[in-house]
Amino acid sequence: MTMEMAQFPYLSAILLSCVVGLIVILLTPPERKGLILWTSTIFSGIAMALSVCVFFAYDKTQAGLQFVEKLPWIPSLGIQYFNAADGFNLPLILLTGIVHFTGVLTMWELEERVKEFFAFYFVLVTGVFGFFMSMDLFFTFVWYDVSLFPMYPLIAVWGSTRKEYGAMKLFLYLLAGSALILPVFIYLFAKSGLNSFDVVALMQPGTFTPFQQRFAFIFLYLGFGILAGVWPFHTWSPTGHAAAPTSVSMLHAGVLMKLGAFGILRIAIFLCPEGWIYWSKVMAVLATAGIVYGIFVGLTQMDLKFVIGYSSVSHMGIVGLGLSTVTAEGLEGAVFQMFSHGIMTALLFSSVGYVHDRTETKLIPELGGLSKIMPVASGYFISGALAGMGVPGMANFWAELTVFISSLKVYPVLGILSISALVISALFMLRVVQKTFYGEKNERFAQLPDVSFGLGLPRMILVLILVLFGFFPSIMLDVIRTSTIPFMAGLAR
Amino acid sequence: MTWISLAPEWTALLMAAVFLAFSMAGNSGAKRNFFTAVFLSAAGVVAAWSALGAQGVFFSHVYQLNLFSQLFKVLLSLGLFLIVCQCSELKGIRERQHPECYLLLSISTLGTMMMVSSVDLLTLYVSLEVSSYSLYLLVALRKGEGTHREASIKYLLTGAATSAVMLFGLALLFGAAATTNIIELQTALTTAMNRPLYLLGLLLTLSGFFFKLALFPFHIWAPTVYEGAPNQVAAYIATATKTAAAAVLVRLVASAGENNPHFVRALVILAIASMTYGNLVALRQKDLKRLFAYSAVAHAGYILVGILSTSEKGYGGAIFYAFAYLTMTYACFLVLVKVAVDGGNLTVEGLAGLHRRSPLLAMTLLLGVFSLGGIPPTIGFTGKFLVFVAALEKDLFYLVLISMINVVVSLYYYALIVKAAYLTPPKETVGAIVLSPATTGLTLLIDLIIVVGGLFPGYLYELALAATKVLVLPAP
Repeated sequence: MTMEMAQFPYLSAILLSCVVGLIVILLTPPERKGLILWTSTIFSGIAMALSVCVFFAYDKTQAGLQFVEKLPWIPSLGIQYFNAADGFNLPLILLTGIVHFTGVLTMWELEERVKEFFAFYFVLVTGVFGFFMSMDLFFTFVWYDVSLFPMYPLIAVWGSTRKEYGAMKLFLYLLAGSALILPVFIYLFAKSGLNSFDVVALMQPGTFTPFQQRFAFIFLYLGFGILAGVWPFHTWSPTGHAAAPTSVSMLHAGVLMKLGAFGILRIAIFLCPEGWIYWSKVMAVLATAGIVYGIFVGLTQMDLKFVIGYSSVSHMGIVGLGLSTVTAEGLEGAVFQMFSHGIMTALLFSSVGYVHDRTETKLIPELGGLSKIMPVASGYFISGALAGMGVPGMANFWAELTVFISSLKVYPVLGILSISALVISALFMLRVVQKTFYGEKNERFAQLPDVSFGLGLPRMILVLILVLFGFFPSIMLDVIRTSTIPFMAGLAR
Repeated sequence: MTWISLAPEWTALLMAAVFLAFSMAGNSGAKRNFFTAVFLSAAGVVAAWSALGAQGVFFSHVYQLNLFSQLFKVLLSLGLFLIVCQCSELKGIRERQHPECYLLLSISTLGTMMMVSSVDLLTLYVSLEVSSYSLYLLVALRKGEGTHREASIKYLLTGAATSAVMLFGLALLFGAAATTNIIELQTALTTAMNRPLYLLGLLLTLSGFFFKLALFPFHIWAPTVYEGAPNQVAAYIATATKTAAAAVLVRLVASAGENNPHFVRALVILAIASMTYGNLVALRQKDLKRLFAYSAVAHAGYILVGILSTSEKGYGGAIFYAFAYLTMTYACFLVLVKVAVDGGNLTVEGLAGLHRRSPLLAMTLLLGVFSLGGIPPTIGFTGKFLVFVAALEKDLFYLVLISMINVVVSLYYYALIVKAAYLTPPKETVGAIVLSPATTGLTLLIDLIIVVGGLFPGYLYELALAATKVLVLPAP
């Protein structure tokens, strides 16, 4: 039982902060709501601080895995507790930290069954963190499901619009995805003959035959693709987003969908590169279909959360398009898009959540003129919408630009189609902004207060991050590049 | 090879003798019976644990002690102890029959212990009947007008019919190999397993244990018996007897050796049929015990996936799964026993508002059903994972895929249970459920086993693997 540990174990510390937070919450009596809120805030704050630290502690001059933590778990099956970070998962760990913390702050006004809410919430976040940092297939799957099952009670108990239907649909869809993944994980384990679930050991070239890679890749792509909202398996996503309570929508659209995309990258592409190249055209077509479809369906929606839900489908399509290009730039753009879309969607859901809490509606025709009633709250939503349109100065601009440039080189037709769809998406967001926040003021809501500083804080953090990476994209891109370029170079050999 | 190695059996026998005396003496208090039973069954767990390393052959080579049998004796005595712990308020049975209930439970456990140690087909058959007959009576013990009479008769008749089938299988095996000793049979089987006589004989013999495991199409009794039996007895049938059945199946299938494509194909068909049928029918169930009965049919299929892999990993996985199944089903029945009013039956809707009435029981139910549904980090997931690993090493990708699809189907009805416990408001106001400190401790312990067993399966799995080593013939 040796633990290879060169420096402070950031990654395990992040997991531990979530687990300890969960235990403290479970031990607090349910009546002490204030205490539970503070505990959640403090432990999520620690997790965020650690994820920021690990992001900046990463040594950009060295390629490969850093912060490696290894511990044998089930020796006879070659299962290890194996965490590591590289340019692919660091942005996502950072994203999770930020959305986790801001999500807790967003729920500061929760009244009903506070203890249970935060207990499930912390289980979910632990799973997400674990998934992003794990390099062992067994643990990857464990964390994957740990992050999925709390969604059911979280949506069914604390949700809104058709919550029971939305929760059950989401739960069954996502676990159906995991049902496709698990057999393939074990298939890869059995075929490798290495008696190991270690991703690094399994990704050595020549471990799997081209046929095995193609076979495994398509199952992994479909399984993870369900969670990534790949068209036509996205239908759970808008319903689920609309039904979920605010911070769960934030985590869900912001982080959980990235689990799917990241799974495609880390597991499917890493272990089955031949399969990736073989199926890349299919991926590109499905991604483009998702981009176009999300935008057109989103155009007709009346419910603000459905609007954002469909825009997520289309933005996740951009991630898929980036992944399908089989180029270093495409991967780079895809990872950056995962990060910036996560922050942007979290911002949008959190702003809608505030509007919904106050006005008790999220139907666009019933709202209107909100910018005169709650200018600050409207400002947050509009910033998010601008980021969604890909306006320069926001992080999304760079991410989308990178993806589109690389996709134009590889798939000119699909690239042009996606870019034109994106122009329409600007129209789509502007329509929502105009109808909801400008125009005639709805007298019914005239007395409502604007967002207070405390409640505005999480939105402010999210806006600042979007702007920060909008002006200095190199902070992120330099980190991602330390992994994409060596990975693609290793593939070419 | 001393008689003290038989400590687990002696303790079960002692418990049976004590309760035989109690039932003949009459008018003993319910409390005294309960505490005596808890004490004796706890002593049984200790005895079984201390006899874990025992080795030896008894009664002119029909009774063998090895790691495999001793490990299962620990599980079986643990099962008895846990069930007895639920009997503090044995409301489903008339008070003057309480000693009989404990008597029959201990005799049945003794029978299952003999089952896992038998290395002779006839001893195996007799021990199976010893454990079964006690169960037929236990089902009939329930008080009041209900389906228990039907359940008991149905259990007896289907059980007797299966016994006849099994005896026919035993006769075929004896006719082919001219021996009733399993170890000698093993040598014959590994060389000539593909002969129809052996194949048919073994499959028919196995059906006696498929019946115990409630594998489709031997499951007909299960829903009625679960529904009709007193809740604690249903819990015993659902946990301990299933474990014993899994043990004997592992032993008999292991005796057939590897590389028997026809045999494996037959088991694959049974496994797929069982899990698919069990899950689909469970979707429509309203009564919680009937639902668990059909879910047991499905789980029998998953256990069979491990067994039919016919490899050490497969048998080890199946043993691990049997233990996992024992704990998670026990957790669900624990909640059921505590929530059911006056020892009656409980519907899924009857769970409404449980999270307010007792947050601990609600959490236990959540863990129990999600573990049955195979969601990590619970022991149920790890068990499935281990049997799937074994199946995929034998290239049974389609079987694992079908099993996983079945798992997703089953999640629907498990999620409905969670929904009822956490979301549905109760129709009328019902009071909180107060648990005694001992029950709270027991509940927490089971929760802990479910989570810790899922996260740290290493020790138990290695133990299970070591236990299977004694079953497989060394390569010639």
